[in-house]
Parts: sequence; C-alpha cells; structure tokens
Amino acid sequence: MKISLKWLNEFVDLKDLTPVQVADALTARGFEVEDFSRQDKGFEKVVVGQIVQKLKHPEADRLSLCTVNPKGLDAESSEFLEIVCGAQNMKVGDKVPLALPGAQLPNGAKIEKGKIRGVVSNGMLCSEQELGLKDTSDGLLIFPQDTPVGWAVADVLGLDDTLFTLKLTANRGDGLSHRGIARELAAHFGRKLIPMRIQDLSGAAQATIAVSTDVGEDAPQFFGVEIRGVKVGPSPGWLRRRLDSIGSRSINNVVDVSNLLMFELGFPVHIYDRDRLQGDRIYVAKSVLGESLKLLDESTVRLTGEELVIKDSSGTIGLAGVMGGASTEVRSDTKNVFLECAEFNPTLVRRAAFRFQKRSEASLRFEKGIDAGGLREAISRLSELVVKVCGGEVTGVTQIVTPWRNAAAEGRLRRMTASLSKVNAILGMAVDRPKTEEILSGLGFKVSGTGDLLSLEIPSYRLDIDHDQDIAEEIARSLGYDAIPSTIPALTSAPALRHGQVFARRQEMLERTKDVFASLGMRETMSFAFASDAAIRATGVDPEVKIQNPMSQDQAWMVPSLLPGLLAAYSVNDRHHFGSEPLSVRLFELRPVFLSDDQSQTKVREPWHLSFLLSGFAEQTTLKTAEREIDFYDVKAAVESWIERLGLRGVRLRPIRDLSAADQVRFHPGQVMEIVAGKERVGAFGRIHPKLQKEITKRQTPIFWGEWNMESVIKLWSSGVESFQSWSSFPTMERDFSLLVGHHISADQITQVLFKAGKPLVQQVRFFDRYTGPGLAEGQSSVSVRVIFGQNQRSLEESEVETASVKIIDGLKKDLGLTLRA
Amino acid sequence: MMIKTELERLADQALQAIQNANALEDLEAVRVSYLGKKSGFTEIMKSLGQIDPSERPAVGQLANQLKAKIDQELTQKKNDLEAVALSAQLKAQALDVTLPSRRPHGGSLHPITTTVRRVNAILGRLGFEVTTGPEVETEFLNFEAVNIPKDHPARDMQDTFFMGPGIVLRSQTSPVQMRAMQSQPWPVRILCPGAVYRCDSDATHSPMFHQIEGLWVDRQVSMADLKGTLDFLAKELFGSQVKIRLRPSYFPFVEPGAEVDVSCMLCGGKNPTCPVCKGTGWLEILGAGIVHPRLFEIAGYNPKDVSGFAFGMGVERIAMLLHGIPDLRLMFHGDQRFLAQFTGVFRGSE
Repeated sequence: MKISLKWLNEFVDLKDLTPVQVADALTARGFEVEDFSRQDKGFEKVVVGQIVQKLKHPEADRLSLCTVNPKGLDAESSEFLEIVCGAQNMKVGDKVPLALPGAQLPNGAKIEKGKIRGVVSNGMLCSEQELGLKDTSDGLLIFPQDTPVGWAVADVLGLDDTLFTLKLTANRGDGLSHRGIARELAAHFGRKLIPMRIQDLSGAAQATIAVSTDVGEDAPQFFGVEIRGVKVGPSPGWLRRRLDSIGSRSINNVVDVSNLLMFELGFPVHIYDRDRLQGDRIYVAKSVLGESLKLLDESTVRLTGEELVIKDSSGTIGLAGVMGGASTEVRSDTKNVFLECAEFNPTLVRRAAFRFQKRSEASLRFEKGIDAGGLREAISRLSELVVKVCGGEVTGVTQIVTPWRNAAAEGRLRRMTASLSKVNAILGMAVDRPKTEEILSGLGFKVSGTGDLLSLEIPSYRLDIDHDQDIAEEIARSLGYDAIPSTIPALTSAPALRHGQVFARRQEMLERTKDVFASLGMRETMSFAFASDAAIRATGVDPEVKIQNPMSQDQAWMVPSLLPGLLAAYSVNDRHHFGSEPLSVRLFELRPVFLSDDQSQTKVREPWHLSFLLSGFAEQTTLKTAEREIDFYDVKAAVESWIERLGLRGVRLRPIRDLSAADQVRFHPGQVMEIVAGKERVGAFGRIHPKLQKEITKRQTPIFWGEWNMESVIKLWSSGVESFQSWSSFPTMERDFSLLVGHHISADQITQVLFKAGKPLVQQVRFFDRYTGPGLAEGQSSVSVRVIFGQNQRSLEESEVETASVKIIDGLKKDLGLTLRA
Repeated sequence: MMIKTELERLADQALQAIQNANALEDLEAVRVSYLGKKSGFTEIMKSLGQIDPSERPAVGQLANQLKAKIDQELTQKKNDLEAVALSAQLKAQALDVTLPSRRPHGGSLHPITTTVRRVNAILGRLGFEVTTGPEVETEFLNFEAVNIPKDHPARDMQDTFFMGPGIVLRSQTSPVQMRAMQSQPWPVRILCPGAVYRCDSDATHSPMFHQIEGLWVDRQVSMADLKGTLDFLAKELFGSQVKIRLRPSYFPFVEPGAEVDVSCMLCGGKNPTCPVCKGTGWLEILGAGIVHPRLFEIAGYNPKDVSGFAFGMGVERIAMLLHGIPDLRLMFHGDQRFLAQFTGVFRGSE
C-alpha cells in the first residue's frame, strides 16, 4: 500500500521529521516500509521551457528543430537552446517540460547534449510518459499559458510529496488508511492526532429511502445518506493528484470521493444513483442460488446463495462489500445519490470476492475487518466530501444498527484484562506499570486496575488484540525489539535420548546413506516432487497422487518414483555436454515418493526412496588406455558397498525371475537385479532399457539406474555399532577349478554347490575368470573359481582338502552337470 | 719362488679382469675363473702341501692376502655395478607424474542437505532434536491447528496446493510442530526440516522449497530466549561478527511475531552498493515469535503452564547466502556444474 507523507501530515504533524525517520519508525512498529521515494525524484534539471521557434530538422522529416527559452523573462536570446524533438503536438509559444543535459528522468533516461541526425540537441522536450506521470502519452506535455518559464517542473506539478510503500501484515486492517498509519506514528513520536472536524448529520431529515438488514450479525450496521443535486464530472486537480500519488486512477468525482474516503479513513463505501433505486428500502440479504447479477465492471456473476447482497424492491442490486451492481451505477447524468457505509461479515465478503475473482481494495478492507466504531463518522465525512467535490446537499439520512452490535456498544467497549507479570515474562524483561500504561494509552487503550492487573478497554479499530501476548507485542514494538535482552533458554530436563529411539535411528540411517552414496562418487540432487503424467508413464508406472490445482500440467502429479526426476536431470546435463567423450552423469536422490493409500488419513503413503543414475566413464577421465565405461558390475559394486558400509544384515541382491510390467519398460532384461530386505523385494537396479534410453537421449553410453524403498531397510539396520568377531589363526588352503559352464547356469548356482559339497571346509569362493570364444562351444564358457578351505580351530590336512575337492567335482557334475575343463 | 710369482701373476690378471667387467654376470664369471673350485688360485692352494714347509707360511700368507684383495675388489665392483643397474632401472621407471591420475569420481551432498545439517548441528548443541513429518498433510494440521482458520486473510500468505478435500501439500513445516506437541508432553525442543510447497514460481520463489522450523516449549520461555537462540545460530552460521535484528511482524501461530534480519556478512552495512544487502546492511533470514496460546490449546497443553518460541527459515535462502548462489532455481535442476561445486562435509547427521 502506498502512503503519502503530505496526507499523513493532515492527521499528525510530522513536518520536522525526515522521510528516513518516518520510514524507520514505521518499520520498527511492524509496518515494514519496502521502499520510499520523493515524488520529484528524476525531476532535477527539468524546467518549464517556452518554444520560441520551430523548424523542420534539415535531415529528417519527422523531427523538428525547436529553439527553446529555458529561463523566463530575462533570458538573452544567446541563452536559448536548440533542441531536436520528435513530437508533433507543439507550436511556437507553447510551454513544455525541458530536460537539460545532466537530468536523469523518472523513466531512467539520462539526458546528454548530443547530435541527433547531424544536428546538436541541447536537451530534450518531454512527454508525461517520459516524466513517469502516465503509462502512455501522445506528444509533449503542454503547460497552461500562465505557467512561469524557467520554473522547476516538479514545483509546477506540485511534486513535493514523499510516498512510502508499506508491506502490511494480515492482522492489521487498521493500518489500511492514512489515519490508521498516522495513529501509529502519533503514538511512536508521542504526538497528538489532529482531530477531524466533521459536519454532524444528526439534525438531518429522514431519507426517502430506508436501510435494513435481513441477515443480523452478518451485516450489523448500515448507514445511508441521500444527497440531491450533484454534478458528475471530472475531479478537481487536487483530488486527482492525491489519488494519483498513491497509485489510484481517477474515474470521476463521485467514484474518486469514495476512494479518497477509503484511503483516508479505511472504510469501503458505495454510492448509488438514488433515482435508479426502486422502492423505499434497500437492505442486506443472502443471495438466492442461481440468480445472476450484472456488476459495475460489466461482468455478470451467478450467485450461490452464500453471498451477502444488497437488494431493493427490484431485486439484487449489489454484491455486498465486493462490488456494486450495474443497474444502480452513478452515470454522467446522475443528479441524486445515495451513500452506503456498512459493516459486513468479513468471511462472507472474502469468500464472495474469491469465488468471483473480484478481490479489490474494498473487499480487502472488509476481509481484514473495519473499525466497527467508526461508521457514523465515516459516512459524515463522505457526505461532506461529496458535497464539497460534486455539489448538492444532504437531504436525508438513514441507519440501522442491529441489537447485536448495539450490545457491543458499536465495538467501542471491548474489554480485556492482562497480567503485567505475564507480559514481562513473555518479553523476558521487566517493564514497570507506569511505562506500560503510558505505552498503552498512547495506542488508544484505556487502562485501569492496579498492581499486576491491567484492565483494558481496547480501541474499536484494533481487532487483533485479545490476550496477554498481544499486549506484550504492543509493549515490545513500542519499546523497540532491540530493547529485548538476549538469553539462552535453560535446559530444564536432560536432552532427549537418541539411543534406541526409532526416529533418531531412522534419521541417522538416512543421513549415513547419503554420505555413502556421496563417497561412492555420486552427487546428491533434488528434483521437484511433481512431474507430468507423461513423464511418469514413460518410466512404466502409473501416477497415483494428483494435485488438484497444479501450477501447470507438467507439475500435476506427485512422483511415485524418483526416476522421472533423475532422467530430467540427465537431460539437463546432456544439453550442455559437448565433445567426444561420453556424458558422465552420477546422481543420487533420497526423499519420499507418493503412493495412494486408502488406509492413510491423507490417502497418501510417503515411503522414502533412494535412487541413483549412473552413466559415463568408470573413473574421472584418465589416459585412453585406462578409460572404461561404467558397466553393470560397477553399479552392483555401488549397491554392495552401501550394504557393506552400513553393515546391513539381511539385505541381499538376487536375479529377477519375472520382470514386472514396469521393470520391462525400465530395465534391460539381461542386466538387472533386485534388492531384497528380509523377505521383501524393496527395489532393483540395472541398466536402463535401450528403448527408454532412446527416448531420453541420442547417446549410446549405457545409463544405469537403481531405486529402492528405504523403509524396510531401515528396520533391518541394527544400530551402526559393530560387534567384534574373532578370527581363525590357522592357515587356509586353496584350490582352483576351471569349469565348462552353459550360459543358463549362474555363478550363484555354482557357489551354492561349492559350499554344499565342500561343507564344512569351504570358507570362501571367488570367481576369478570367465572366458567365452574360440575353443569353446556356442553357449558355453570357461569359468574359473578359487575355493578357500579352512577350519577355525585347527590346521587342515592335505588329504582333507583332496577329499573335499573330489566331493566338489562330484557335486558339480551331479547337481549342475558341470565338468572340469580339460 | 715360482709359486709366489705365479700367485702374483694370477692376482694381477684377476684384478685386471674385475676392472674390465661391465656387468654383474661378467663379474661372476671372473669370480668363478679366479677364485672358483677349478681356478688357478684354488689349484695352487691345493698344491701348497707339496712345497717346502719352510716356504709354506710365507706362500700361504701371500695367497690369503691376494685372495682377500681380490674379494674386496669383487665386492667393490659388484656394489658399483649394482648401483649402476639400479640407477638405470630407476631411470627407466620414471613417470611423468603430471599426467592425470586414475581418480575415482567425486561425490557431493546437495547444499540444502549440508545447510540443514549445519543448522541441526548448531542448534543441537542447545538441546534441539530433529523431527520430521509427512509432506501431504491434512488441511487442519497445516492451517487450523496452527491458528490459520479457513477464510482467514492469513491464508493469502500461502498459496496452497490441494490434493483432495481437506488434504494439502504442506505449505509450511509447522504441522510437524503440532504433531510433535500432540504426541509428547512438554518440554519440547525440536527442529523440523523438510520440503514444503506453494503455488509460486520465479527467481525467488519455487513451488517446492525447504524450511526448518524450531520450537521450544517449557515452563517459562521468553522473547529474550528466542533472541539469544537466534543470535547464536546467526553467529555460528555466518560468523561471530554478525548481529541480528528483530522487527515486529505477523505470523498467525506466534504473538508477538518478528521478522529477523542478520547484518550483511559481506559489507557489514558499509557499502551502499553492496550486491548482497543492496546497501541496507540487513538481510531477512527468518520469521519467529512467541507461540500463540491457541496452539497449546489444540496440542492439549494448558497455556497457563507453558510458553514457547518458534521460528522458521527457508533453507534455500540460508544456503544461497552461505554459498553466494544467485538463483533459487539452480537448486532443483540437477545440473552437475552446480552440484559439483558443493563437495560437502561428509559428516553424519549431527
């Protein structure tokens, strides 16, 4: 909201203060000044010049060459300036804004002496747009003939104000007016508000139309004034300038007056064409479902039965608190008007404004709550302004104040009690009673009571006050938050035990997982948790959780897997990778995914997933001879390292027998494994299916991906504290076996036989070579495996190992049909 | 005498041969031919018994002397040749150590992770414990329970994503505070980091971002305690020279409320054209205040017994200030040119 310093001065004398002092005071009191500037900023070196000669530019048909008197009566012709000008609307004798070299205009343009199409121009003649006075303009600004030549344009235009842009908090509806802000400043600087002298309407006759309310508490007050003989037309200059200065556009004198009142006192009001009102009563009612109403802005809304509306005998004529109707609008031929100043239920106004997307300065003020004690004064002030600006005279008044509002004595008698010691405890400092009373009185509270008890009468405009902590805030912001000391809160009990605590353990497990993947040479990334339907489906899974009001369809579905995000990140890196080397992408992410779940209160389940994506060289690039692209076994190593480093017992990797539909889309069928925690499959890793890869990139270097649900894994994680295991001090023996193996037999199967047949001597099995090619039949390979034999309590005899080896060879033959390679 | 002469001749020949040897094999051949079992020297020594006993001691002594001399020369020469060979080997094995290494790929943690860890570690020293909650929340916990009723103007502060009737993507981490209070008796000392969502997107707003909220509830907790805690946090994060400033503000879940600025860590307010603070000397980093009694009522605590402070900060904002990151959107692109700059401190969660 924009606040004018000149306007503030009508309510509290701030003339001895600099704008900086005022801005600092406002910020310190919770009315944050985002920005402030003098109106004449950009008008230095801009003066009124008179055109004494106008010629065609010798080189350009569309330009003129003007000779301008920049100084007024005593100027010598030698001081006249030649100015090149592109505008068409000026003639000799016109008085126009002249920006001299060195000026920097409000629109940012710097004015220098320079040649334009070969002719020297000693400045610039300006339009209103160039001076930042209007968004568009057609030609130069031409001043009235009696404007003195040589004067500063800022003075001529009356640009001597300072405007503050305030960021108002949602709880301070009372700050939405100049008087409200002035009240705060008066309290801050210990000054008195200048009282407004407003004409008393109590002697006026009864209006020819009555007001009433059918909705009780939803419209507790309604004041009306009838004025006859107004003349609708443009507003006088002072009014236009005032509205202009705070960024409100002038419409006509009637509309402008109601806006002026709103920005002055904070009350949204409405003015009807009296002669278009039907019957002898207008009243507030609930709308009827399905009825439609044409509003002032020419739009038609279909009402729902929820809104407050204004009615006369013809039907609905306005959307209460939001916008008036077209049928009773003040037009250029309007002679008689009816003024409305009412109080409406903030929630109903807010809902209606949202429903029809008609939020406005007026609805905003109703939403935040207007000063229920100030309506009478507001309508009197409005009447006075209408008569002053638009002419006519007050011919009648009407009002309704519901018993409910009367009971609350128009809001003026809101009372509460607070405890001085509680207020001090909240602040953490001692403020004595006299100081507290002084501060509260300055803010318009009436304070009584003794000792610890503060009996308070709350000003009717302060809707945000109702308990001790609100009073503490009033004290704190008046003394300044800087006055509050700094202390460290005391630990009144031992810190929470983390040992054995499920949540702490879970957090540690997740953070350690991040550390492991980072130490494995991957970079943690964070993707948006939402993606498009198509991006999710492309990875073979159906999205499950939808956002009802997404920013765009690209962000409409919560991700059921982290793959879409990682593939998008792959593409980001793909786009800026140049040169002949393969693109290296090494990313991981750890966060929840979103799955639908009818058992959950929110219908959503959020298991945390770990996901990684790998592609490119196995090591940071080295010499060509050592270069190697990542393959499946590098990826398997990463998963195994994670299991090893976290000491995860019961997490195993195994081949997948039947790929699920989703995995058939995502994984290369021959390079994939699943991860099993206990008995539950939690995820898989492997090479991205070449078809899916082709949709992502033109690059051939294989992409690998792994993802699993961490929840079951977390449960298997013991503690991270390793238990010591003793080892055997007896030597081991080893035997190597070279086997002819058909491709349908896996290393896992062979391992199982080796352990079973060589029991109990076999301690370790290590595959160390695999050969396929010339010398071997199609579909066969030669696999070499080393078996380590040992016993924990004694040395082995050579003969035992021989016996075990024979059993192993027999077992391999019997169980798998394998023979030693000759 | 003939024997003596013969010995001396052999010795001269041997010494000459040793000198001429250029390789260890040659030297070994010299040793074998002059001192080996079939060498002239050995033959002479074997025939020593046949000579005049009176001459025997002198010849024996001479033979031993010459043999020792040859041994010594052999050893010396052997050492020399080995040194030459070793140096040739070392020379041959010399590498261009400036060629690239076979370095494993570097890994890193996201600046949001490291920033959350920093804050957790700093405030953990004061007694705060980390807790988290779901990202899809009930509208009640996200709003009503933290004193933002339906149709309250404060709802304008946050444009919220809706998932279904009464279900939202949490727009703040405050529901975690309420969940924590509802599930445990006071005192409560918690930090709630996590992703939050609002319908907003430009250079300074992202539809998904991260917050850390802190909550301390105990018998008598004050604004002064809040100030001390935040001052400690700011100094540990940005350096002991920074100061904090509290300005009155409004958040529905606290009263009194404050916005908290930290003095500019770059210019300290001395540079009117400072790119970080834009010459104001202050940077807004978080919102805070004294917990509204309404929250205690909802949590089932008696507002007469307890008080508390709460604060909330945008993690991205802190990370951008710490690292000088110019654009929020860089955080969520997965661009490795960005991620590779934050090699992270691989410490545990605390």
